[in-house]
Amino acid sequence: MTQTTLTVNGQTRTLEVEPRRLLADIIRTEFDVSGVHIGCAHGVCGCCTVHIDGIPRLSCLTFAVQCDGKEINTVESLGGFDATHVLQQAFKSEHGLQCGYCTPGFLMTLAPYVEKKVANGEMPSDEEIREAISGNICRCTGYHGIVAAVRKAISNQLEGQQA
Amino acid sequence: MRPAAFEYHRAASIEEALSLLAEFGEDGRPIAGGQSLVPMMNLRLARPEHLVDINSLELDKIERTGDTLSLGALVRHERYFNEPLIAEHFPAFLDAAHWIGHPTIRRHGSLGGSISHADPSAELPCVCVLHDATIVARSVNGERRIPASEFFISAYVTALEPGEMVVAVELPIPQRKQHGAFIEIAERMGDFAVIGIGAVLELDGDTVLDARIACAGAELTPVRAASAEQFLKGRQLTEEVAQEAGQLFAQSVDPVNDYRSSAEYRRHLIVQLTSRTLMRAMKSKA
Ligand SMILES: Cc1cc2nc3c(=O)[nH]c(=O)nc-3n(C[C@H](O)[C@H](O)[C@H](O)COP(=O)(O)OP(=O)(O)OC[C@H]3O[C@@H](n4cnc5c(N)ncnc54)[C@H](O)[C@@H]3O)c2cc1C
Ligand code: FES
Ligand code: FES
Repeated sequence: MTQTTLTVNGQTRTLEVEPRRLLADIIRTEFDVSGVHIGCAHGVCGCCTVHIDGIPRLSCLTFAVQCDGKEINTVESLGGFDATHVLQQAFKSEHGLQCGYCTPGFLMTLAPYVEKKVANGEMPSDEEIREAISGNICRCTGYHGIVAAVRKAISNQLEGQQA
Repeated sequence: MRPAAFEYHRAASIEEALSLLAEFGEDGRPIAGGQSLVPMMNLRLARPEHLVDINSLELDKIERTGDTLSLGALVRHERYFNEPLIAEHFPAFLDAAHWIGHPTIRRHGSLGGSISHADPSAELPCVCVLHDATIVARSVNGERRIPASEFFISAYVTALEPGEMVVAVELPIPQRKQHGAFIEIAERMGDFAVIGIGAVLELDGDTVLDARIACAGAELTPVRAASAEQFLKGRQLTEEVAQEAGQLFAQSVDPVNDYRSSAEYRRHLIVQLTSRTLMRAMKSKA
């Protein structure tokens, strides 16, 4: 057991953690935060993407003990239970989800990406957007709605800046 | 699946990491980005008893000393995109980095991890062989400098001894301007390559002064194309000549036959991708 202090969505706790426990499992079982989904547990689906100190990372390829003192955010921290974040709203209007299993991973992968594009005032091509989501698998949508949602989230904010 | 139990140690210095690795020998392993090791542990293909976390070590420098560019073992794959020294001197290296996995994986995966993992279809081992890199390894017994051509021994097997750790990779900076490219074919974007080809050219107009070609995914380790490289020297590079070089390369390798592709298809890819990569390298001149 290793003493580990984690802050998940602003809630800080110190736990005795077995080193072999994955960050994804600790978030789900110890913090009761279920927005972290585990699709494959070996890095290929992207469902478990969270932010560690603001940077997207696969929580199935991270041991909780490695995150001592770190700040972790999950999809719950984006727009709360009403999903008010621009990207979440765009996923809703552009049919970026069906069953929703993959959605938290997509959102956590894409939120900093969208933010950066907006900050740089640039609209990526569809090809670039597809590259950005290449580590996330969705079995339902065929990705078109997701690409459209990214475009919409960026263009809405760029237009908002001009106005 | 979930990993077997292990003990976790975070090393605060290279010396501490080396002494822990020396103590654990075969039972210990460094963990860098964890982007290959943790999948293996989750699938129980790897069951180290001790993990030595090296992420706090200062091994992420990219430095030029004289005619050598030294890349620290913890340089993450995405760094190459913003590194002028790589763009200027090692265009094939930069090109190759684009093909590695996905953004989240490139942000965490490290050079030392990639070459120590030694996946036969990985890009970075291939470009290390392409550029005649030297792998700098350390243990409590001191430093060893291993040419890339001797470092990769088989699939997932390297010349590293238990207790030894990669600290850096050194690339010789070319004397003259080089043009390079890397192209691969994978099932989907970001998947491991079925075949990947890297090429570096020194040109006088369209005439090849020097050429190097290496292939990932064909055999159990990256392979160089000695006969094709020799053939290209002094020739004007045209589509036909590039195809011929590809043919020579394909004849000189013995491709694996596995669930991803037949040996025959791999051979076909070597011909086509060698030719495309050479032409891309030449066009990058403009
Ligand atoms: C979905 C997915 C797709 C991927 N696609 C690709 C791809 O297309 N091409 C590709 O090349 N890679 C790919 N990868 C792997 C990725 O590039 C890894 O980052 C890389 O192979 C290992 O780097 P790491 O730092 O994560 O190493 P780790 O996973 O931490 O370690 C890998 C191995 O190297 C050892 N090790 C680590 N650092 C050192 C060191 N300094 N000295 C000695 N031994 C060390 C470890 O003990 C372990 O055995 C992919 C991974 C995933 C999950
Ligand atoms: S569960 Fe982590 S990538 Fe699939
Ligand atoms: S919405 Fe069902 S997997 Fe993506």
